Amino acid sequence: MTEYLIRRLLQSILVLFLVSVAAFGLMHAAPGGPTQMMISPGLSPETAAIQKHNLGLDKPVPTQYVIWLKNMLKGDMGYTFKNNVPVGDVIWPAVKNTLVLMSFSWVLSLIIAIPWGIYNSTREYGLSDQTANFVTYIGFAMPTFWFGIILQEFFSLKMDWLPLSDMYSMDKQGNVGDLFMHLILPSTVLVLVNLAGYVKYSRSSMLEVLEQDYIRTARAKGVPERKVIFRHALRNALIPIITVLGMDLASLVAGATLTENVFNWPGMGRLFVDMARSREYSVLMAITMITAVAVVLGNLIADILYKLVDPRVQIGRKGGKA
Amino acid sequence: MASKKKWLSLLVSLSVVSALFVGCGDSKTADAPKDELKKEEPAKSEGDKKEEPAAGTPKDGGTLTFGSTSDIVSVNPIYVQDTASGDAEQFLFAKIFDIDRSGKVAVEPWSLAAEPMKISENGLEYTVKLKDNAKWSDGQPITADDAVFTIETVRNPKAGAPGITGFDKVSKVEKVDDHTFKVTLKEVYAPFQYVLAMEIIPKHVLKDVKPEEMQKYVYGTDPAKTVTSGPWKWTEWKQKEYLTFEANPDYWGPKPHIQKVVYKIYADQNTEVQALIKGDIDLANGVPVTQLEVLKSKDNLSVDPTPGPQYEYIGLNHKADNFKDKYVPWSSPKTRQAMAYALNRQGMIDNVLKGIGSVMDAPFLPGSWADPKEAATHYDYNPEKAKQLLAEDGWKPGKDGILEKDGHRFSFELQYNAGNSRREGVATVIQQNLADVGIEVKPKALDFSAWVDQNLNPGKFEAVLIGWSLNNPDPDQESIFGSKFTPPTGQNNVWYNNPELDKLWQQGTSTVDQAKRAEIYKEAAKILSTDLPYIFMYQYGAPTAMSKKIKFAEEDKPEATLAYGYFFHAINWWIDDAK
Repeated sequence: MTEYLIRRLLQSILVLFLVSVAAFGLMHAAPGGPTQMMISPGLSPETAAIQKHNLGLDKPVPTQYVIWLKNMLKGDMGYTFKNNVPVGDVIWPAVKNTLVLMSFSWVLSLIIAIPWGIYNSTREYGLSDQTANFVTYIGFAMPTFWFGIILQEFFSLKMDWLPLSDMYSMDKQGNVGDLFMHLILPSTVLVLVNLAGYVKYSRSSMLEVLEQDYIRTARAKGVPERKVIFRHALRNALIPIITVLGMDLASLVAGATLTENVFNWPGMGRLFVDMARSREYSVLMAITMITAVAVVLGNLIADILYKLVDPRVQIGRKGGKA
Repeated sequence: MASKKKWLSLLVSLSVVSALFVGCGDSKTADAPKDELKKEEPAKSEGDKKEEPAAGTPKDGGTLTFGSTSDIVSVNPIYVQDTASGDAEQFLFAKIFDIDRSGKVAVEPWSLAAEPMKISENGLEYTVKLKDNAKWSDGQPITADDAVFTIETVRNPKAGAPGITGFDKVSKVEKVDDHTFKVTLKEVYAPFQYVLAMEIIPKHVLKDVKPEEMQKYVYGTDPAKTVTSGPWKWTEWKQKEYLTFEANPDYWGPKPHIQKVVYKIYADQNTEVQALIKGDIDLANGVPVTQLEVLKSKDNLSVDPTPGPQYEYIGLNHKADNFKDKYVPWSSPKTRQAMAYALNRQGMIDNVLKGIGSVMDAPFLPGSWADPKEAATHYDYNPEKAKQLLAEDGWKPGKDGILEKDGHRFSFELQYNAGNSRREGVATVIQQNLADVGIEVKPKALDFSAWVDQNLNPGKFEAVLIGWSLNNPDPDQESIFGSKFTPPTGQNNVWYNNPELDKLWQQGTSTVDQAKRAEIYKEAAKILSTDLPYIFMYQYGAPTAMSKKIKFAEEDKPEATLAYGYFFHAINWWIDDAK
């Protein structure tokens, strides 16, 4: 296990390194730069050159990368070009806000989706299954921003039950009750979107397991159906679900751009778009790296969970069954 | 299993990055003038305004919340270039001189100047006397030292202040006494009076900051360290969320009625409009014209449809190198005039702009003192006349119906910025209108930052659809049309060259008398509107909608035609929650 973890760690470092090189290169290859948005068009080329020099943007891209990497390893994410604000001051609040929204709706969707999927697998094509199908189609097909606007129109503007947007009311910053009220609408949108996938996954993965010989054996032995489902089938069916969840874990940090925009949620998705438009390289790199770390971590957690769910899984050994 | 997953995680991380890159390309927010290239320049109009909610007696207290689709960059006045920071600056900083409703330089009770500027006989010396009771928010007096320090800092190229262009005619700045300073110009430059309608920065706070460090210094981004001069103090900045300003209890001028100002940032313009309807915010500037009808129907809101201080144009490149076949199709004025006749500009205003705008024939805003009125040549929508002019100029229909001349097809690419719904709409109409007379237009939407970098700044394009924001009410526009100001020195990125016009710009800035200047700009307008370096389109609006609980006297109502005019005289406004 320890050996495995070390190997995974080394692999992850390599992955993160490659991601950073690719992202850094792509960003600098994109036309336009932070100075174009800062420097007034009438400014003399000399002054523009001074500006570029002051910001270190006149150095070759590989040199800039090395400087960035060195600082990053020291834990210094840099400063914004536009106004020299520490990148951490911009990013950490957004990470926190996104985590609040995303984990709330993620947990909520799991609580609903997995039991629902399991239930549906036992009553294929029943009313509940048909309903789930319908909800799934809606969840996949409906543009999230549009659904968000519809919710706002009805619950906030028309009925005035819930706040329209933002994370807190202006005069209730930091109030948990207020936060909860603000969470309801954006979470509804996100839950509907997540639900679609998760119900499908858990249902089909259960169905697959239920057709296995050992399930038939268990039933033939006279094991009660309840026990068949929860003891024998579910544990095996969970493995593919965990894979999907592990991959989705990164989105808890990356955020949901459209939903965040519609509900004016000050999170990562919104930040990334904003920063991409003004070519804030240091912020963009920080967001990319945080997301990449989350992806790597998500996969690692999934691997470890396999082991917990299925003791037969021998982590890290070639030929281990999964 | 293990080896498979490694690749998966790499692929997933990469696809997250690329998906976000794609995402940012097609997302949209502001089609307000926030994405306009900013430029210090002319004109304003005194359009008649519809009645605003008023009456009653001012009362103190209350909160004004306004919405914005961008966060500030820095409120340090010498670096403010973007509308968002400029909005905040209106509340936090006093100006030496203010601009009155008619666009003239004025001394208001809240201006730092005590009396009008004195200009010497030869037009070279500007003497300014400051009020002797003005104080910074930390209690220190505002003196001539601060003014001289500000101007010297801006003039220092190391500071990288964008305002430096306004001071390139200055030879020296000196302190006369504690509250008086004098600026001497190298040559007569009439627009300089507008340069003095500026904010200043506190010397006692910033004197030890090196000019090259100034832009990175926390002054302007840290509320606690940003000592200000205006009616409100900066109390909080939660990035990407909001800023708050509180009335400064020790403010030296007439006290503002509104106690607290909240500047709320919205990621999405539609959400901002919804928030206005809901009452979360009280004022929004630059609401999309498509939402105007909805807003007008709300009892608690009032909408000002007056077009603002900005105009749109088709910039025609005059440099042959920029065309594939090194041939400028519109090298003759006749062809350019034909294009102007071919365009249904009023139709664009009615349909795309929903009536918020007015046709412009020369780059001087209607209603200003430099408005050329009938002196400018007007082009009606007249496709027949356009066809006739094109034929006279030697254009003949080719096989596919597109005009040809000397073996060149009349076809060009029209660039504009992606996500700007107004320009998207107008570009389609342009394409259709010009196709009707046999000209092929290929509209192309580009990401703004990349567009500025690769096309606008270096002047490399065939034609562009863009606007100018007119932040300075002076009509001089030499840096846009003057032959000395082609890239990289200036903003004449269409490479226009007209010696006669060059001479007029020179005369215009070296004449101090305003009536005489108006005559000169009338001549300039005549040339511009017949020679058409651009095809001037229309003055357009960024309509402001506000809650009726914001109250003001008639003389303090917002003035759409001024830069930041939606906050005009906000110091005199008050909030009445009982509607």
